Amino acid sequence: MSKLSTTGLTKAFSGLVAVNDVTFGMEEGEILGIIGPNGAGKTTFIHLVSGILMPTSGRIEFKGRDITYAPAHERSRLGIARTYQLIHPLENLKVLENVMVGAVFSRGKSLKEARLSAESICAELELDGLGRDTAQLSILEIKKMEIARALANEPEVLFLDEVMAGLNSDETKQVIATVQRIARERRMAVGVVEHVMGVIRELTQRVIVLEAGELIAEGPYEKVSKDPRVIEAYLGGAA
Amino acid sequence: MKIRGSYIAAAAIAAAVIAFPAFLGAYPLNVARNVMTYMALAISWDMLLRSGQISFGIAGLFGLGSYASILAVLRGGMDPLLSIAFAALFAGLVAFALGFAILRLRAMYFSITTLALMEIFRIVMHNLHDFSGGPEGAVLPGVIFDGNASALYWLCLGGLFVTIGASAYFEKSKLRLALTAIRNDETSARSNGVDIFKYLLVAFVVTSTLQGMMGAIQVQSYGFTTPDTAFDANFTLLPLAMALLGGIHSTIGPMAGAVLLGIASEWLKLKIPYGHLVVYGVIIILVILFMPNGLVGLVRGAMRNARRQGTVAAGTGATGGVE
Repeated sequence: MSKLSTTGLTKAFSGLVAVNDVTFGMEEGEILGIIGPNGAGKTTFIHLVSGILMPTSGRIEFKGRDITYAPAHERSRLGIARTYQLIHPLENLKVLENVMVGAVFSRGKSLKEARLSAESICAELELDGLGRDTAQLSILEIKKMEIARALANEPEVLFLDEVMAGLNSDETKQVIATVQRIARERRMAVGVVEHVMGVIRELTQRVIVLEAGELIAEGPYEKVSKDPRVIEAYLGGAA
Repeated sequence: MKIRGSYIAAAAIAAAVIAFPAFLGAYPLNVARNVMTYMALAISWDMLLRSGQISFGIAGLFGLGSYASILAVLRGGMDPLLSIAFAALFAGLVAFALGFAILRLRAMYFSITTLALMEIFRIVMHNLHDFSGGPEGAVLPGVIFDGNASALYWLCLGGLFVTIGASAYFEKSKLRLALTAIRNDETSARSNGVDIFKYLLVAFVVTSTLQGMMGAIQVQSYGFTTPDTAFDANFTLLPLAMALLGGIHSTIGPMAGAVLLGIASEWLKLKIPYGHLVVYGVIIILVILFMPNGLVGLVRGAMRNARRQGTVAAGTGATGGVE
């Protein structure tokens, strides 16, 4: 059974259909790439499965359980975590406390337990200076903090929405290596939205391609990248 | 060591405050009660503010507590002391019911709604002639503790201690993480398992309970109330000014602000009987313009600067040769 699956998932904003009839599944231990041109509906799709937006129609299941209209905080407790394309630090909490939030409210840990697990996750991600304000962090550190916070949820399914954006190639490599290792160790299903195709090729076993809200292709990156529909979507249908 | 020091200091201050009636007369004790009432309201207002919700309804819950207490005694024959607990619970219950509607609102919409609620409570009490006494208000046969100044002082102090305790718990427990996360970024909070509505409801009910309790203590200490005194806008405005002056998002800030403004207002009342609120208004404007983090923010900033200069000096000493 898939960890997370959608059937005919659709989201319309009045006239605009941002996600249109998407059916897909994610398996345990899999790193899945979610690609598509700007405005294809990738982020909306993640908003839908993480409960930030409610779908217009369709169905979402987590380990066979219907979660189509479950609120976001409940999905986080069930085991779906995510990061955001635009950074979302909690600026009045220290770095460690930011990470602790995931452990306390998603996992129901005491402050003491949450502190310990947040510290060990930050150590894994090589994030230090945990007593700092978030305003003092570099962009790489904020991204790491947000990944750490998502990991503190101890998710079974994790979505990373353009975490590599704004990072240089060394930093990107470092983050990729960490994500791969943690996903393997924890048997997590990871969904990665990314515009840098090198990252997708290196990181994922399988990709899905969205265009104008529709799923137009699915399969290993090498195969999908040669699909004429995908090429057309990226080049804008000039042919 | 440092933490133990501050506990000892707090215990010493608490002991001194408890002992005040031994060496203060009736008038200073009365002033102290006023200050403590506003202080408790300022702290409770700040406790909800930590979630980002700005309430203008303090006077509403305060007045509701006043009336619940006085009417429980007058109409229900309840023991005055018990009526304070009853009024606190009543205010909490009303907040619980209202919370389901108004805690879905945010920012300005929430603030305006709380303001309107206060006005609704006031008008209801105005018009329930037979039950509440209407515009003339309600009068108790006697003041609690037979009006003993020391006892009234300790009663008010008790209410303040309960409020400080609740606020300290908000600061030490996971409530702080939840409320700060909600204030900073609701989306992020939700994605990390924070049940936003639940925590807002907890904060709103607890702070309303405290405000109702202070209203009940006030009414039992004076022995009467009217809609216009119980729901006086000052019970909203003065605590707000105190918290802003002292520094929001903390327990100590509203306390410091309440001591300063509370004593200043007593003095101003004597100097300019009808003009002291003008001075208040000017203070609020100046604080918002020049000291947005209040006195506590000012002190913290100064301490941070001192520490930074200390480390910079130490740092250049250690690495000076290398660079």
